[in-house]
Amino acid sequence: MTMTPEDVVRVVAEMQGEGIVVPTMTTVPAWRTTAPEAASVACVGFMGGASSLGLGLALAEPGRRIVVLDGDGSLLMQLGSLATVAGAAPKNYTHVVMANGVYHTSGSQGIPAGDRIDFEGLARSAGYAHAETIDNLEDFRIRWPELLTREGPVMVQLITGEAELTPMTAPGGKPFAQQVAELREKLQGA
Amino acid sequence: MTTELRTESIPAPLIVEALKDAFRWERPEGRPATSPLGWVLTVPDTHQRSVLRLLTDDPDIRLLTCSTEDEANAIAAGLSIGGEPVLMLIQHAGLYASVNTLRGVAMDGRVPSFYLIGLLGRQPGQELSDSRSSMVRYAEPLLETFGVPYARLENADDLPRIAEYYRLSREQMGPTAVLVGLETGE
Ligand SMILES: Cc1ncc(C[n+]2csc(CCOP(=O)(O)OP(=O)(O)O)c2C)c(N)n1
Ligand SMILES: [Mg+2]
Repeated sequence: MTMTPEDVVRVVAEMQGEGIVVPTMTTVPAWRTTAPEAASVACVGFMGGASSLGLGLALAEPGRRIVVLDGDGSLLMQLGSLATVAGAAPKNYTHVVMANGVYHTSGSQGIPAGDRIDFEGLARSAGYAHAETIDNLEDFRIRWPELLTREGPVMVQLITGEAELTPMTAPGGKPFAQQVAELREKLQGA
Repeated sequence: MTTELRTESIPAPLIVEALKDAFRWERPEGRPATSPLGWVLTVPDTHQRSVLRLLTDDPDIRLLTCSTEDEANAIAAGLSIGGEPVLMLIQHAGLYASVNTLRGVAMDGRVPSFYLIGLLGRQPGQELSDSRSSMVRYAEPLLETFGVPYARLENADDLPRIAEYYRLSREQMGPTAVLVGLETGE
């Protein structure tokens, strides 16, 4: 059965532990309602920045797992970040790409080469420690505990359908500055 | 009346010391065993290559080369949220390349973000507004449009501006910049 970003978010939230999640685009509304108290900061207002924001957190917090919930269009905008992540080689970094083939949030326009691009292959060629592709929820549930714990950087390309909600159809949530301030407090506060 | 601009090439070791001073101010209690004094994120700047060369081998600094300045901005945010001292060493072209991220992360996100920006192509003694290079001319107007406080590093007397503007970015929770006037020396 096709996975939706909402399905993915539920599994990630269930197993988050001490980790920090960096959602963007169509995982943002789902994350906000599924795990409102969790340690996270969404990439909103600077499309393509989730992988890098997650990298900075991973380098600052080597004892916690960082999970980036990226969009395929978003990753294309900062595709060089695959090399930057691979070069920095954070062991605690799991990069999930929602490969839905479209820019869902801006109206479901197709992404370049959406019918053939392979983010697993791109991550592997860039030098990620591990990369794989999963196309159904059952396998994702089974594989996720290992993808969360094995030495990173790990990339998992998820072939997903479209989400129920996008940041356009379900606007709101805390402003980015507030999310930043709250996570800073959580990590650095006494 | 026009005052003569005293521009000179600043030796790289002095700049590196100034960066370390800024980092030490932020973490006066000393660094945890696993951390560097601070992080320098860069997309290499031709103008400051002698500084980059020193940083490459400096055990106190973690130098991370990024593919784009957009990435540098967002990585700096993650490091700073986690409490790590960090600054960005880029070129004027890199500032132009990454304004959306500067706006979205440093400004809207209220993330302390300090940039050391090399003005490649700047002529000695010349006002930036008189430069034939558009890259040199637009740096200050752009920073002013975005309301980013900045200072110029024209000669060694200006070195304290680095720690000062670094501190200002932390106090104001936003972007600040120091523009490096002439190519840094050995
Ligand atoms: C720099 C920039 N260009 C364009 C946009 C417009 N935009 C907003 S959402 C979006 C699509 C995001 O697509 P993707 O990352 O694949 O996420 P999805 O919505 O499919 O989950 C685009 C192009 C933007 N926000 N920023
Ligand atoms: Mg998409």
